[in-house]
Amino acid sequence: MNTVIRTENLSKRYGVVYSVQRVNLAVGEGEVYGFLGPNGAGKSTTLKMLLGLVKPSEGSVSVFGKDFSRNRLEILSQTGSLIEAPSYYGHLTGLENMRVMQRLRDVPDKHVEKALQIVRLEKQKNKKVDQYSLGMKQRLGIAMALLHFPKLVILDEPTNGLDPAGIGEIRELIQSLPHEYGMTVLLSSHLLSEIEQVATSIGIIHGGKLLFQGSMEQLQRNSQPHVWMKTQDNEKARRVLQEMELSPSLQDGFLVMEGMGDREVAQTNRALIMAGIDVYRIEEHKKSLESIFLSLTGKEGSL
Amino acid sequence: MLLRCLGAEWVKLRRSRIWLVLLVLPVFSALIGFANYWMNQAILQNGWYSLWTQVSLFYGEFFLPILIAICCSFVCRLEHVNRNWNVILAAPVSTPTIFFAKVVVVGVLLFAVQLFFLVLYICAGFIAGLHAHFSFPPEVFGWIMRGWLASLTIIAFQLWLSTRIQSFAVPVGISVCAVFVGLGLYVSGLGMFFPLSILTIGMGVLSQESLSLGELGTFAVMCVLFVTTGCALGIRHLTRAGL
Repeated sequence: MNTVIRTENLSKRYGVVYSVQRVNLAVGEGEVYGFLGPNGAGKSTTLKMLLGLVKPSEGSVSVFGKDFSRNRLEILSQTGSLIEAPSYYGHLTGLENMRVMQRLRDVPDKHVEKALQIVRLEKQKNKKVDQYSLGMKQRLGIAMALLHFPKLVILDEPTNGLDPAGIGEIRELIQSLPHEYGMTVLLSSHLLSEIEQVATSIGIIHGGKLLFQGSMEQLQRNSQPHVWMKTQDNEKARRVLQEMELSPSLQDGFLVMEGMGDREVAQTNRALIMAGIDVYRIEEHKKSLESIFLSLTGKEGSL
Repeated sequence: MLLRCLGAEWVKLRRSRIWLVLLVLPVFSALIGFANYWMNQAILQNGWYSLWTQVSLFYGEFFLPILIAICCSFVCRLEHVNRNWNVILAAPVSTPTIFFAKVVVVGVLLFAVQLFFLVLYICAGFIAGLHAHFSFPPEVFGWIMRGWLASLTIIAFQLWLSTRIQSFAVPVGISVCAVFVGLGLYVSGLGMFFPLSILTIGMGVLSQESLSLGELGTFAVMCVLFVTTGCALGIRHLTRAGL
């Protein structure tokens, strides 16, 4: 798979504080890459550096295998973006807003029609954008990003301020972009639930640092399931297990162990029974993505 | 690329209310100037020239610089609200082109305003009955043109200020202050070294003496210099971004 975006040690420093620090992103072609992190983690700054809207303090960006700083216009002509709040000219209608972008990007009329149709704004296109709801503005922003049917779409919090129905609609749209138009999507959000439903790959950023990057499965695999055992005498059982070179922890009246396969579970069970300790329960607890996310970013950043 | 940017600017302006300001301010200054002339006809006996001193005083010294500042603030505010810079600067056009497009757009608007002001001046002259006694001064066309050239220097600087300063009013306020600085420099004979006093000289506001060839040369050089400097500052600001 070709890599569409690659950053090397990408950093942005404001004064002495790094808002983005040595981030190495790798976004593959045809992916929906979810860029996840609490508010203020450095998502927008990173995305703006990808578009040349913010100059990196250190590091480099390459898009479509080309160095960004040297091929800015060529890269931008194949990239569509929606950064921070949706941008629009309130005194113009939706269609006129599209016309502004059409002039700038020099694309045919039918693209304008098609992009408006994709986000379902054809019926409201002659209304002033000042009178649009936030959701409609957001959709107009997406239409502007898609106008030239770019190879890469960068969407910063595209579902911000949408109602649940709108969120579902946008989610379906984003999912359809790779196979329908051959686009690669880089999508940021502070909500795990939003990312996990659409993303094929995920990057987690916190405090300006990329804490995890990989496929969704990798993230889940990253945290192995825990086996929780409840016995007649946990203290005694613990000593037995320690002799087997396991290191169970005690939690809520359960012995908790990591990294247990089927065979290990069976062995442990047998050993406990042989030692005359009744085993009441053996449970497997899988960590939810939410708790993986929280364990990576810390609780304070969870909202 | 410039044409693409100009096209986009045009769509943005078409539905805006800036047109109203462009019409009202010249009319307003011509009216005040004309009223002044009408009431002081006893002293102002030099026909078209006297009328010019009155209408151009209010227009060139005050309303035109303000009008330029408003126009520049307006075309930049379009981008400041809703963080539209994000979209414009992420479009496949070079940053200098984006700035030049704004210079050209405001420049063209101001050219139209200059012509409109010329029409107003001629109308005022006819109403005052000047055509019966005096011949029309040919210098007026030069004043209008040179006034426009000097406007371009102000436009470049105001656009730089307005891209830097998000507020609409602050750059306009700065331009009001600059008007007085310009007057001061003009009076102390340093008029060629400040955009606003260049305007005073170019439009023949305070002195209707023809400029010497040398003065015309300095005027042209200073115009080019100021436009270049203003554009360079503005483009540098946009390229550094972090908007």
